[in-house]
Amino acid sequence: MNNVVKGLILYVVGWAAFHYGLFPLMTPKEPTWIVNRYVYYLLFVAYCLAFNLVLKLKPPISLNGLAVFLLGFYFYQSVLFPPIPWTLLITYMMLWGIGTFLYVSQDPATFAEFRKPIVRTVTGEYKLARYIVFASMPLLVGFGTYQFIYPSFPEPVELRTVHPAPPATTRVHGKNFTLEGLQNPFRIDEQDNYKDSFPFLDADKQEYMKSVTEGGTIFFRECHYCHGDQLNGLGMFSHVFNPTPANFVDPGTIAMLRESFLFWRVAKGGPGLPNESTPWSSAMPAWEEHLKTDEIWKVILFEYWYTGWHPRTFDEESSAAGGGE
Amino acid sequence: MLTESRKSLRQLIAGLVIFLVAGLPSTLLAEEAQPADLIQTDKLELGKKVYFKRCVWCHGIEGEGNGPSADRLFTRPRNFIQGTFKIRWTDSGDLPLDQNLIDTVKNGLPGSAMPSWSGILSEDEIEAVVQFVKSLVQDRDFADEDEEVYVQDFGSNPWGTKGPYHFGVPQEDIDAGKEIFLKNKCFECHGGEGRGDGNPTMKDDWGFAIMAADWQQCWNFRGSRRNHFDPFNIVRTISTGMNGTPMPNFKDKITIEDRWKLAAFVNSLCPRKKIDRLTNKPINDFLIKSKRRIGAVSTDFNDPMWQAPDDDDRIKSRASDYEGNQYWHFVAVAGQITRGERNFKPKVDNLWVMSNWSEEEQAIYYLVEYHNRFLSVDPAYPDAVAIQWPGQLEELFGAEKPYFIFGDSKKPVDLWKANFMVKDYSDTAAPNPNGYDLDVTVEELVGNGFEAIFPKETPGGVQVVNSKYHQGRVKIMFKRSLMTENPDKTDVQIPIKTYIPIAFMEWSGWAQEHDEHMAISTWLYTILEPDLPKSLVYMPPIMATAWFGFQMWLVWMTKRTRKMAAEGKVK
Repeated sequence: MNNVVKGLILYVVGWAAFHYGLFPLMTPKEPTWIVNRYVYYLLFVAYCLAFNLVLKLKPPISLNGLAVFLLGFYFYQSVLFPPIPWTLLITYMMLWGIGTFLYVSQDPATFAEFRKPIVRTVTGEYKLARYIVFASMPLLVGFGTYQFIYPSFPEPVELRTVHPAPPATTRVHGKNFTLEGLQNPFRIDEQDNYKDSFPFLDADKQEYMKSVTEGGTIFFRECHYCHGDQLNGLGMFSHVFNPTPANFVDPGTIAMLRESFLFWRVAKGGPGLPNESTPWSSAMPAWEEHLKTDEIWKVILFEYWYTGWHPRTFDEESSAAGGGE
Repeated sequence: MLTESRKSLRQLIAGLVIFLVAGLPSTLLAEEAQPADLIQTDKLELGKKVYFKRCVWCHGIEGEGNGPSADRLFTRPRNFIQGTFKIRWTDSGDLPLDQNLIDTVKNGLPGSAMPSWSGILSEDEIEAVVQFVKSLVQDRDFADEDEEVYVQDFGSNPWGTKGPYHFGVPQEDIDAGKEIFLKNKCFECHGGEGRGDGNPTMKDDWGFAIMAADWQQCWNFRGSRRNHFDPFNIVRTISTGMNGTPMPNFKDKITIEDRWKLAAFVNSLCPRKKIDRLTNKPINDFLIKSKRRIGAVSTDFNDPMWQAPDDDDRIKSRASDYEGNQYWHFVAVAGQITRGERNFKPKVDNLWVMSNWSEEEQAIYYLVEYHNRFLSVDPAYPDAVAIQWPGQLEELFGAEKPYFIFGDSKKPVDLWKANFMVKDYSDTAAPNPNGYDLDVTVEELVGNGFEAIFPKETPGGVQVVNSKYHQGRVKIMFKRSLMTENPDKTDVQIPIKTYIPIAFMEWSGWAQEHDEHMAISTWLYTILEPDLPKSLVYMPPIMATAWFGFQMWLVWMTKRTRKMAAEGKVK
């Protein structure tokens, strides 16, 4: 019994020291090297193993089971990054719970050991424990029922398709464009050659930078209110809208799309989306009303130049690698 | 080699001097002038590269604040030519320290288009771009002997309050701060309750219109350094003034102790909301809950059913004597920049909404409040605020909605628009503690897209039952019955216990906003909360009793199994 108390204290104190002492040190406020979090977690697990082994605590299987379960919970709740939604947390913890049970019942001896205190509580050999458990469980059930019935109205969640399938053709400014194979007419050279060029300053010398400068000029006149000065979807108006404006720096947007897809999206905007992408709440204007065809292409050219992404292409190399969808 | 060691010796001496000076009493330090931070020319090359990729779009090629975005921004990007920088630790009119500019780049200037660059640019890049920006200054010379700067001593937080919300300033210091506010006539620009509604004629050094800060929206303070509730920011601004703006410094007029008290007062006005670190704005409430009331809903703004604390009660628990159960919903709005005459500089950027409904009256009420520094005095451009609903809610399938601005050709919207002019009001008048009454006319419109917005032929009986304009804040209370006769199918029919799409629009007449030149929200939801179910009373005891029975059964079973094991019937 003494060892159990010792173990519990070491778990609680150790966790508090790790969580409030070491964890903030290894995860500064600004996002940083993400592996730090996992190294931290491994250190904590190592600590738990170490004190049990070094002090030869030989904890009972129920304490081990509890420790395993809570270590899993702590990982999914606090360490894993980015944080997961609670629905997923519940799913993970159910699986983790099953895993813990398997661990506890791995052989009849440990399972019997695990079962023993429970049976003794039920039969009344542990008298006080039985009174406490048998009195509190019905109260908990009653309280749980109350919580369950009490009406609550959370903000409804709406799912939408972020990148819907594009149409085969789109008509912009009276001209039909077939999206398959459509190229940006201003992509006249390899983008990486202009990494170190200056917009404005090099616009006279380099044709490519002239287009980038013009595209950027349009972007910062029209687009930055939502998509942000940093193209990260955090413009001045971005917090107002739902869905939130696209983040072009994120690898999940323009980096995985073809330029023709962007052309269609920019030209037709929110109202041109299919129903599964909630066209009624997208604040993206149909830019064909405000911009010329060439201007749309230049803005797209600028977005790739600024973020450093390359538009997705369907050349032989990527299809050979099985990269297509 | 020699120069190297000499350099390091000089650095050592400089370090010693700084150490000694820092050890001196702070009053002495405040009197001490120091040369302005020199431009570090070795960093200019990297700085130029960063500037021309990241900054040129707003601040312009020469740093004149005239990049492509400039004309559509309010406040305009900074013009660097004159060396005028707002957020400093140095005296009014002085050049800034490098550290001040670095902090500005790192934290951005909330309430303007200037974002935070930390995490996007490296430390080296930020330091370099600051040096490059300094090199764009033409009218002043950082190396000039006359350009010495006085770094002020702001003391330290006398109450030791902690971020992010800085609770715990004693009320008597806040009250003392209010006296200082009155004595120094801060209200002449910032208004009677600090909503920035004092002076409509202000200009900055370049002749562009400029507004006094709204203290009740501290997340828009330029100098908040993303620490929006920290009184230090206010002390700094009061002490140093804001170069280039009409904001003077009060360094000699108000003692440093009193500046902290004044800051405590200013800071106490800002409601504690959870601020999104990425956007520097309070987090939107996407669901507006309408509370069910027994009997009729009061139309008195002061009735407890229309009262809620300014602070979010998830941050600061309500006072124990607090009667109401209401909540202020924060609804962010932005300029309409999608179609037609677009509005890039909306005057209002958020609304506060509260709702009650009455079973007895079969009616719903919405109270919309927002800060607007100045209201229209020109009847051609009345102020207005509108609630937008799907016109035919019952026809919508799933998440489907009309287009969020004025609906579309297939799915109409129902607009409840209150147009109003303030009675006996002049935008240059002194603060009026009694507030002003409004002359409201309600318009009910059907929207089928931007080009198809028409008044209803059979209005649904929307009323504005109370309204007021008080110290820079508009309050409009809408009322309508849940169901209407609706012969033309143009009125929304409002069910209870259902998520209903709702959106808001706002027109600032003072800025001549009209028609689609307005501020809009996205589609939110509203729900009429029903009465508590009866089962809440009887179900919990039933379940508890059933569980107790199960426990008894478990005991009986366990004992029986044991007995059988003892008798050798089972193993």
